[in-house]
Amino acid sequence: MSEQQPAYEVVWPLGKSHWDKRDLNPGLGDLNGKTIAEVWDRVFRGEEIFPAIREALRKKFPRIRFIEYDTFGDTHGVNQKQVLADLPALLRKHEVDAVISGVGA
Amino acid sequence: MSLVSTGFLKQAEVVARGLGLDDLRIAHYPGTPMVDSSEELRRKVESDLLPQIVEGLTTGRTSGRAQDAASEPEPRETVFRGTLEEVNDHFYEAQWTDGLPVFPPTIAHIERFLRVTNRAPEEVVGVCPPDNREATVWNIAATGVMAGCRPEYMPLLLAVVEAVTDPEFRIQDAGSTPGWEPLITVSGPIAKQLDFNSGASVMRIGRRSNSTIGRFLRLILRNMAGFRFAPGAGDKGSIAQNFFVAFAENEDACSEIGWQPYSVDRGFQAGDNVVTVQSVVGVSPPLYTGSDDPAEHARVLAEVVGQTCSYWSPVAMAYSKNNPLIVMGPSIAKVFADYGWSKADIRQHLYDNVWIAADDAERYAYYIGLTGFKLREHVAKGLLPQEYCESDDPKRRVRVFMDADSIGIVVAGDLGRNQSKAYCSNHTQGPPVSRKVTLPYNWDELLPRTNQTH
Repeated sequence: MSEQQPAYEVVWPLGKSHWDKRDLNPGLGDLNGKTIAEVWDRVFRGEEIFPAIREALRKKFPRIRFIEYDTFGDTHGVNQKQVLADLPALLRKHEVDAVISGVGA
Repeated sequence: MSLVSTGFLKQAEVVARGLGLDDLRIAHYPGTPMVDSSEELRRKVESDLLPQIVEGLTTGRTSGRAQDAASEPEPRETVFRGTLEEVNDHFYEAQWTDGLPVFPPTIAHIERFLRVTNRAPEEVVGVCPPDNREATVWNIAATGVMAGCRPEYMPLLLAVVEAVTDPEFRIQDAGSTPGWEPLITVSGPIAKQLDFNSGASVMRIGRRSNSTIGRFLRLILRNMAGFRFAPGAGDKGSIAQNFFVAFAENEDACSEIGWQPYSVDRGFQAGDNVVTVQSVVGVSPPLYTGSDDPAEHARVLAEVVGQTCSYWSPVAMAYSKNNPLIVMGPSIAKVFADYGWSKADIRQHLYDNVWIAADDAERYAYYIGLTGFKLREHVAKGLLPQEYCESDDPKRRVRVFMDADSIGIVVAGDLGRNQSKAYCSNHTQGPPVSRKVTLPYNWDELLPRTNQTH
């Protein structure tokens, strides 16, 4: 029966992906002596989760350094555009090696 | 290193992939943090999050996405050949449909749409995060074909995509847990030319332009922005809702009572063809008001619009933005107009008379997940007016709406009944964004000679 029905040659309905090429993240190795930035969107109990992470990481890596989330502002708030625009310069200023960003839930 | 709860792992992967960050390390919190005790939360941080964080920060990845991009089909490349049923099965398996049958996007059908615009097929109209795919004139036409649109809808489809890809609209948030849905309002003579319904059952599927253009936008969200739910990923609407049909204002009714159309409220000239897209996260019950006294209509509007929008208003306070939309029945608009009320007067009345208790606002905000939100701190930072903290009384009233001008009013619906409806927006996610519709040079020749009147 199917050969009696018209056939349709159809195209792909999606669009091309649009992103910039980036270098792959090599990882930090040992976290002792490294600076970690906390970037929080002010939701989903980050006010409890980030301090708990800080404390646990310090036990494991005594020479780890944190730049706490208040330094960077609310990444999901009213001033999000400005906060995100300022973020690269602030990360450089504080010589940050890695960022922990959250919380998505 | 990104922190998410387990239920958001796949969405985080979609976002990372869309940004070209396949090597982004993601640590997931098991379960739902909003329902765990403080003790349980700390235990999960130490036993579940910490090992993932340490592993993620210390080790790197070596894979990228460049090879995937190279293998994506070209616009005119045939990706499948088959009968109507086979095409639909294939598209459904590939997660390119909304579960309803689609019209096959063949080159011939797409080209019929392309004849109704002067724009080049390869032009990128916008980019759709989080999947970050380019919406081109070509694939907008393909999506219109799939949705069942007629070719002459093409100028309007382009304007809709321009609106939702404006960064102000934040299309990337259309898969957030509230499950908001975009609503398209059509203004101007094009509404009649394309046979839009603006009367009874205006929000119902049934009129081709209303229905298929609403469906078109849902397909754009799915295929360009990547909002698919299981077995796909990216759409995290917890319960969510179906797509809205696009709807038109009854501009004749506005004109008869001396009100300007909605397009003028949006900054355009009366008679301009305009689309406005905004988020809707909640809908009021049918809002019947009955009196020849406009004050009585205004009082009930404030009560019911308040009941509809109050619970969600703490989110608006946190982000200093909300844009409720009132779809007002023509008979009610006429009572207001007959007594000299303008739309601005109604907006001001709602602004002045819809309130919520401060402690309810903070409590609802916390439950929604805004655990860092406090009215006092927001006022101190200048993010809310001083009046939100005029006393320490937790039961003090605070305004639900951020400002009177942000309340939209569109006249539509049953001419023979006295009903309105209110639509709550989702704060900074999907504020109203308008675009003028650009018609091709030969628009009048391209329109069907007769439009079906239902």
